[in-house]
Amino acid sequence: MNPPSPPRETPTPADNPLGLEGIEYVEYATARPQALGQVLERLGFSPVARHRSREVLLYRQGTMNVVVNAHAGALPPAEAPTLAALALRVRDAAAAHARCLALGAWDAPVTVAPMELHVPAIHGVGASRIYFVDRWRDFSIYDVDFVAIPGVERHPPALAGLHWFGIVQYIGAGRSAEWIHFYRELLGLRLLAPDTPLGALPGGRVLQSPDARWHLQLVEPTGADAGEGEAERLHRVAFGTPDVAAAVQTLAARGVEFLDMPQAGAARGALTRTWLDGVMFELVRATGA
Amino acid sequence: MHAADFGMDTITLAGPLAAKLAAVRAAGFTQIMLSARDLVGHPAGWRAAVAEVQASGLRVTGFQVLRDFEGLAGHLHDYKVDIAKAMLEMCAALRCRVLLACSSTSQHASGEPEAIARDLRKLALLALPHGIRVAYEGLSWGRHVSEFPAAWAAVRRADAPNLGLGIDSYHILATQTPLAPLAEVDVTRIHLVQLADFLWHEVRTPEERMTTARTMRVFPGEGVHSQALAQLVLALDRMGYRGDYSFEVFNDDYLQLPLETVAARARRAAVWLAEDVLGRATPPAGGPRLRELG
Repeated sequence: MNPPSPPRETPTPADNPLGLEGIEYVEYATARPQALGQVLERLGFSPVARHRSREVLLYRQGTMNVVVNAHAGALPPAEAPTLAALALRVRDAAAAHARCLALGAWDAPVTVAPMELHVPAIHGVGASRIYFVDRWRDFSIYDVDFVAIPGVERHPPALAGLHWFGIVQYIGAGRSAEWIHFYRELLGLRLLAPDTPLGALPGGRVLQSPDARWHLQLVEPTGADAGEGEAERLHRVAFGTPDVAAAVQTLAARGVEFLDMPQAGAARGALTRTWLDGVMFELVRATGA
Repeated sequence: MHAADFGMDTITLAGPLAAKLAAVRAAGFTQIMLSARDLVGHPAGWRAAVAEVQASGLRVTGFQVLRDFEGLAGHLHDYKVDIAKAMLEMCAALRCRVLLACSSTSQHASGEPEAIARDLRKLALLALPHGIRVAYEGLSWGRHVSEFPAAWAAVRRADAPNLGLGIDSYHILATQTPLAPLAEVDVTRIHLVQLADFLWHEVRTPEERMTTARTMRVFPGEGVHSQALAQLVLALDRMGYRGDYSFEVFNDDYLQLPLETVAARARRAAVWLAEDVLGRATPPAGGPRLRELG
């Protein structure tokens, strides 16, 4: 593929109304945190910190943070891990949140324990949330809410140059225009041309963040009865890597299995097999982050 | 006939929700338009009402009605957003895909096209994650938007993919709005068509229109504007409208008749529209042949 190159100039406020500057973390919810943790470790993540008050672990590699949330709120989380939240770095979290509500986003109330950070959120697709984080320059949100796991490297390097490439969202048939509107309106994402080749699988529409650091791919069901009865949801994350074949080799050596890909797509991307009733990951050829 | 194209509305029928659902089904309809009151007035609560609707097997044509949403400012706007969210939650629970919002009658509402469009765009965004489309309808006694061309202008200005028009024949007949501007409307943005006639020849003032609309509507084919109503349905059909038609018949007399009597009248209206107006039972030219040539 021709990875979309980052813009040479800083986006103007009109292009980037929330001041997006990348993904702070991606959150999974699951009642089987250890099982998911093992999968993440195979992919090169290490557990680095534990939440002060809840059953929540922080995994990290390179610039990527993954939160595994096993905390039972009103209801216990489902057994199978689900992509529960996307936390975005923004210029001003309160302003970003207020702007989204004014435009018609649904507020997602957050419950915090004393001395914990209040990270504002809106509802995304299905039961997922979009968090807005602005405390990432001077200190990290994890310094407040998390306790480092003793004796582990707090900033483990990334395998094979892995970094966030984006998120794949499954949507209902005929819903592309609506979800494109949702993300443009609220986050200022921009729509890439329909034929932009990204990753191993063709299809879907791809939106790019105004800072060009991450992408969101919207995929409608294909085939007559595909997706029947399934809910719209965030389906998987995609890691960028400068060399897909090398990344596949590195990860395969750690026990990650990949699906067979058509030759044409193999250089552009790869898909892992599914773990734990539905968790899978995608590799996409991309530089940067 | 294509009975599946037409549906009844609970506001036409007296009695509890379960009786309405049963009567509509028994008359051969497969869909029904619901009001928020049908749910919240249920003795076992609105969730029980949702379960009752789902158990009935009837598809929910649409959910009504969000009133006076657009053009408000400050605390009035915030209040209406809360109302809209509560209605959207019920609509979503019904797995209903259309929320009806009618043009504001409030003297507190701004008539600024920009303000109206901004609020409709916001309403559409609130509905979007739930997979709900908003049908914006110009009430014939609306304060700033009272006819479908003005409603369409507002929808176009708001420019959200899940925002479209609700067309109600009653209002078009009441204000004697010409049908020609329908040609300007993108048919994929007509999210609902409601049909009703009435028994007076004219309703001149907004007050008269409102009173008639709320007490003396009748089913298509029963009133004195059958020809104009048929022209509207034919115009919609010609422009490619293939969505639902719902009978929006508020009638005080029907509220004191047995449900099966009223449902039978609705059934007669559906047959009139399908057979006499649209001719849907007639095989179209290019239909089946005894033997294909060549």
